[in-house]
Amino acid sequence: MVNTLAPERAGHSASRARPPGPGPAARARRRQTVVAYLFLAPVLLFFAVFLALPLGFALLLSMSRWSGFDLGEIRPVGPANFTGLFARGSTFLAPVLTNTVLFALGTVVIALAGSVLVATCIDRLRFQGLWRTLYFLPMVTTVVAVGNVWKYMYEPGGLVNGVLNALGLGSVAFLQDPHTALPAVVVVQAWASAGSAILVLTAGLKSIPRSYYEAAELDGAGAVTVFRKITLPLLRPSLLFVCITQFLTGLQSFALITVMTKGGPGDATAVAALEMYRQAFSYGDWGTASAAAFVLFVVVLVITLVQLWVFRRSGEDA
Amino acid sequence: MGRQRGLNRRHFALALPSALLTAGCAAPRQGTGRPGDPIVLTLLSHYSSGVLKKALQDPVDEWNATHDRVKVRTKAVEFTDLLTTFMVRQAAGQGADIIQPYCLWTGQLVRAGVLRPAPPEHTAEIRRGYSAAAVGAASVGGRVYGYPTETQTYALYYNARLLRAAGVPRPPRTWPELTEAAERTMRRDRYGNTLVQGFGLSSYDDSTTVGQTLALLNAAGGAFVSADGRSTAIDSPAGRAVFELEHRLVSTGASAPGVNVYQAFPAGQVAMVISAGWWTGSLKPLMGADYREVGVAPVPVPRAGDRPATLSTGFLLGVNAASRFPREAWEFLRWLNAERTGPKGVTRMSALQVSVGSLTGRADDMRALLGRGGDPNLRPFLDALAYAVPEPNMPGAQQAKTLLRTHIEALWTGQQSVAEALRGTRRQVDQEVSRLW
Repeated sequence: MVNTLAPERAGHSASRARPPGPGPAARARRRQTVVAYLFLAPVLLFFAVFLALPLGFALLLSMSRWSGFDLGEIRPVGPANFTGLFARGSTFLAPVLTNTVLFALGTVVIALAGSVLVATCIDRLRFQGLWRTLYFLPMVTTVVAVGNVWKYMYEPGGLVNGVLNALGLGSVAFLQDPHTALPAVVVVQAWASAGSAILVLTAGLKSIPRSYYEAAELDGAGAVTVFRKITLPLLRPSLLFVCITQFLTGLQSFALITVMTKGGPGDATAVAALEMYRQAFSYGDWGTASAAAFVLFVVVLVITLVQLWVFRRSGEDA
Repeated sequence: MGRQRGLNRRHFALALPSALLTAGCAAPRQGTGRPGDPIVLTLLSHYSSGVLKKALQDPVDEWNATHDRVKVRTKAVEFTDLLTTFMVRQAAGQGADIIQPYCLWTGQLVRAGVLRPAPPEHTAEIRRGYSAAAVGAASVGGRVYGYPTETQTYALYYNARLLRAAGVPRPPRTWPELTEAAERTMRRDRYGNTLVQGFGLSSYDDSTTVGQTLALLNAAGGAFVSADGRSTAIDSPAGRAVFELEHRLVSTGASAPGVNVYQAFPAGQVAMVISAGWWTGSLKPLMGADYREVGVAPVPVPRAGDRPATLSTGFLLGVNAASRFPREAWEFLRWLNAERTGPKGVTRMSALQVSVGSLTGRADDMRALLGRGGDPNLRPFLDALAYAVPEPNMPGAQQAKTLLRTHIEALWTGQQSVAEALRGTRRQVDQEVSRLW
């Protein structure tokens, strides 16, 4: 609306002698620009304060040494923090980063497989809203509560071991055994995050036209074929969304592991976010923490791009 | 008229932030500092709730009631947020005048220039009045940085009923006795669930992993780090002996690191465990009448006749290097920690700590306060003040402690052998500690 008015005013003023300096059209355009920036200002300010500024500060810290107390004490050290992360004897690459990727991968696989199964079942049930709400409940429960409840369930004498004992099996120290600790936490993370995936996938299933299923039924296709040839390909956008968001959550996971294992036993469940927190807030080594944050950012970016590429390629193949 | 209104709005828009800014800048948060003007000192601690908060507030109220010019205002956060709060407030230029850090962080705070060294007269007072362990915990590189407040020593808690039932007549004094008692008292069901843990090794927290290990290490005459704090000393015969002892206890099933000893001991499911003195205050209400079966003995030594030793940890009250009123802050600390008062002639801090079931590093005060009729279980902790070794507090001490814990857990869970755990601890701790000096 504003743009359509501007040329008219410009044309009207063109018949008069043009005064020195910018004309009315230019002034109007400048005024519009100023107004536009004024409207954008709160958002830009928000991003500057909460995104650009911390990002720039983190970048500065990643190439500095800072104990976290005095801003005047930031000392540049070049890429030393990055090389330190991958130096011989450093635990950042293995087990910390390895654990992080395994944790995220395990979470995605379990949550995705489970939520596809559950969403497909819900799609065939009555009271779908009720089922979706039930499965979404872990999402609205605090991670601390979820972590503590599962911690008690995993303990020797807890519910899980009680079931194993009732079946005549020996107890398993799930969170104390370095071989079972990470998978045990992965299961909890997958369980806790499946609710949102189920919500997205049930919506995705609803958007698939019923006519496809009817046509397949007329052609005599079985349930497995229908699922493989119709449901899964048409669910791909929802699956991609779930896959990427679950991976992002898994790679940045911190609270659940802190509550359940604190990274132990040993460093069997140490992940990047926990390591960053320790480096910054416990050890006062903000440089290493910031460098680790940027490395994790690159890992997240690469994994996300790979997922996009794989899904796009499989879409073209289909 | 419209112009007039516009001007008013513009003036108002300019005037409001300016007024707020001026008011904010001019507000005497700590007083103006001019001679004779009132001064408000802030004290940041972790005494944030319940009896701890009241225990500190009482003497602060007494100071405020008896001192006209210098007032003290307490601020408190949970212990888990304490170090982070120091960092954030210091970076924002809002650091408290007086801070109460955990001694483990002293080196880190000194390196960051947060703690101010104690003036000579206060240093002399601290060295004169406190046990060597308490002074060591409040010092870095031989320089004292504050008044030691809460001091904890480690000793062996035992459940006399469980020992008696296993035919163990008295608490163990040596490691062979400890091993035998632990193996005799342990019980498991047919599924492998621990019913009674002989000796409570637990991966629950730093205290149950590193605290116990360092107490045993000190008892064996060893040390975690060298005297100058620049390298680790755990890869030694004493360190090897401790790791072998723990490895044996876990592999025979006498210890089950997955069990939370803080719950299992009061429930009568742990026969013996090494812990700090503060725990007596928690055990009494938790165990009720069963507490009479709880005894405390010195940490067992490797062989009969070895000199006793154990670990001590603690907190200190120091003055922020950024404080505008260091003289007043030190004067308040002297009044709180060194001035004797009351019928028993003890310091206010000693009375405060004993009132919350804790100890200070002033052995004479503790003896006067605990006296006869007190909990006899506190006596071994008090005796240990004479021979306890302070927890290392060099720059990077927290990181060194976490690394040690990682390797202890790896040893307990069979991920690493004794030699690998010792070697790994030495390599990683040396690397980090040397980098941070």
